[in-house]
Amino acid sequence: MAAIVRLSSVCRRGIKPLFYQSALLVRPLAVPHKHLEQPNLLTARIHSSQNLKASSTSKAASLHWTAERMLSVLLLAMGPVAYFNPGPVIDYSLAAALTLHGHWGLGQVLTDYVHGDAKIKMANAALFLLSTITFTGLCYFNYNDVGICKAVALLWSK
Amino acid sequence: MALLLRTLGRQSVCLSKPQYSVLYRHVAPMGSTAKEEMNKFWDKNSRLNRPMSPHVTIYKWSVPMMMSITHRGTGIGLSGAISAFAVAALVLPGSYPYYLDLIHSLSVGPFLTGLAKFGIAFPVSYHTYNGIRHLGWDMGKGFKIPEVYRTGYTVIGLSVITSIALLMI
Repeated sequence: MAAIVRLSSVCRRGIKPLFYQSALLVRPLAVPHKHLEQPNLLTARIHSSQNLKASSTSKAASLHWTAERMLSVLLLAMGPVAYFNPGPVIDYSLAAALTLHGHWGLGQVLTDYVHGDAKIKMANAALFLLSTITFTGLCYFNYNDVGICKAVALLWSK
Repeated sequence: MALLLRTLGRQSVCLSKPQYSVLYRHVAPMGSTAKEEMNKFWDKNSRLNRPMSPHVTIYKWSVPMMMSITHRGTGIGLSGAISAFAVAALVLPGSYPYYLDLIHSLSVGPFLTGLAKFGIAFPVSYHTYNGIRHLGWDMGKGFKIPEVYRTGYTVIGLSVITSIALLMI
């Protein structure tokens, strides 16, 4: 009975007012979980009610973020593989992973420092060109020359 | 009885999807995206020719701040070096061993050779170790300030040790 009274005092006014307290913007009310440790990110899950039409949300940015981290982990794993199993497969994989990691990384730098629609477009076009040339050059090197792994090995034997 | 049912009813509605650490309900949609808001900010302020408020020039620099910009700096530097290498591979006529021998023949001396190796090894090590630290943050770990400093100093220490170790090889 006491529990019911306590519950009713919390829920008397309902949870709705609590949510509307923080402006009229979409803001998550983070509820800390005592028993379930969530190591993952707070993923946005918007449930719009019937009378408020939520604008369509794209998951592109969030997926891009996840892809960036997965690529980083992959690149980390490639290090030891390149050391213990050098060869053309890892050479081309490294070329791809390094170029893409650099492309996305520089993309974030541009997003941070370049402002204005025209400038952003130009900067991203230039970055795309640079990354394309980089990947081409690395593949060319892998094909016509000693390859990335061997190049590092030779450089270090200096 | 009615009170009980109403309370329990509200409770079940309140705790929607408890396995996610975020509760959403009855949200009001935003009028614009973050990108649009940022563009509006920059359009207005550059149109009015407003100077930027001093920030990095006046705020006291901290170790986490310096490590963060170093992570960015090493990233840009390494990316630039890789791109330069790729362009060189496309443009230069000779083969890699040829150019390596060319550099060998310059007889630079052990100190400068070591310095060059350190110049390559340190950015790679630092960016890698700090990258792992970033991935930890991405998993939600290590945000407490003492942890930030502890992991930070660990990254710096490991980078220096690894770079010196790589020099010895």
